[in-house]
Amino acid sequence: MAKIVVSPERFTLVFFDADRIAELAGAVADRIGLGEDTEVRIDVDERIPLGRVKIASLDPVTITVEGGAFEDAKKPRHMSDRSVLDVLGRILLRAKDRLDPSFSAAPADEKLSLAQSVAWTVYSEGRCERLGLPTQKARWRYHFRNRHGFSDVADAAFDRLWAGEVLTWAAIEAVCEETAKAREEFSP
Amino acid sequence: MRRHLPVADLARDERFATVTIEDRLGDPRARLAAANSDASPTRPGRARGRMDPNKPGTPDQARALMHGIFTGEIQALEGAGRTCFDYDVGRGADEVPYELKLDMARQCWDEARHCEISVKLGDWMGTEIGEYAETTFLFAAACNPDPVLRLTGVNRALEGLAIDVFNTMRELGEATDDPVLFFCEDWMLADEVTHVKMGSDWLRRITADDPDRRARALEFQHVVDRLFSGGGFRGDDEDSTVKLARRFREMAGFSAEEIDEVAEAARRSKDEMRARLAGA
Repeated sequence: MAKIVVSPERFTLVFFDADRIAELAGAVADRIGLGEDTEVRIDVDERIPLGRVKIASLDPVTITVEGGAFEDAKKPRHMSDRSVLDVLGRILLRAKDRLDPSFSAAPADEKLSLAQSVAWTVYSEGRCERLGLPTQKARWRYHFRNRHGFSDVADAAFDRLWAGEVLTWAAIEAVCEETAKAREEFSP
Repeated sequence: MRRHLPVADLARDERFATVTIEDRLGDPRARLAAANSDASPTRPGRARGRMDPNKPGTPDQARALMHGIFTGEIQALEGAGRTCFDYDVGRGADEVPYELKLDMARQCWDEARHCEISVKLGDWMGTEIGEYAETTFLFAAACNPDPVLRLTGVNRALEGLAIDVFNTMRELGEATDDPVLFFCEDWMLADEVTHVKMGSDWLRRITADDPDRRARALEFQHVVDRLFSGGGFRGDDEDSTVKLARRFREMAGFSAEEIDEVAEAARRSKDEMRARLAGA
């Protein structure tokens, strides 16, 4: 299992359990195939009830998480195992992609367009589903349509990304170019 | 069958979870969220701010709001249904004209349709029924024992809010070229205009010879308006999640002065929330 470090060790504003987060993160890291010697740091900002999650570093892999991302939407301040697995599956797969040479050309996360970012997320979520991690396919289809168009072309592109097992950054860029062209053709 | 059903007795299946306003305001992160322009001080976990299609979180913000609309429609159906049943026909203080019951029955029909539309929109947006916690503030306003106060609080304050919400979502659908969102919100918006107009008409008719009761009803409306302005959730400001839909409110029978009052109530609510959280 990868070495997981969660901070803070104790939460005071929310009812989160750092040990449980580490346990879940370890299980996710194993499923997605992060090496046993990989160190993963997860820094949770419990003060922020929003859901932004970022890769702060790749060496060691460091994920910053706003507390709302791990929260149970039905039970404020309480942690949801499902949310932890969903969020970490998505973000750790992106980290793993970034460590692969086929993604070396990918811009930094803050430089990605919304279309590129969502396309990459869809690729990650599809893999998460096949790994048995919780996902919301319809939710991500809606995100994808918002960024790539409410069209058959966009839906077909979504399905290809979701089913993709070993894609490259170039393949994701190609999808973005394809849907952008379709939007131009069909725009009034 | 029991009359005047309290909020706690609303029937929900296992998919739904309810949170109270005390839960929201008792969240220690609320104070910190108040300082964060993106976070809602009363609804931690939810983004605040204008529905900007260029923000990464807007689709999820819209999904959460749409789920709130869905549970609001359920409560609006329950509220209008209770108003049909809770009062006898007559001219007494706890009685209503038969024609008012007919209007409430028509509103039940509309709200039931809105529930179905909202479920289908939830499917379209990738949201599961019960994915988010339900707040029952709307039905609480529909528990007022005075039928005029109830109608004013629900049909003028809350259905007025629904006009603002549906117009905001309709504009988002237009901005994102989402034909389903735009179409559904446009149709529901039309119904809400009718509901507000019914509230305004009955308020004027029933209280035509009772200025004190009218004043109490309008005060109750203002209280509900302030509560649902949610510390900046709804207002005239650019950063409000839901903007006041002035044109549609005028169509629903609000005067320009009354719309200004709602805008002012929203500003006061925002200031009060900030002051409360700063002192917490």
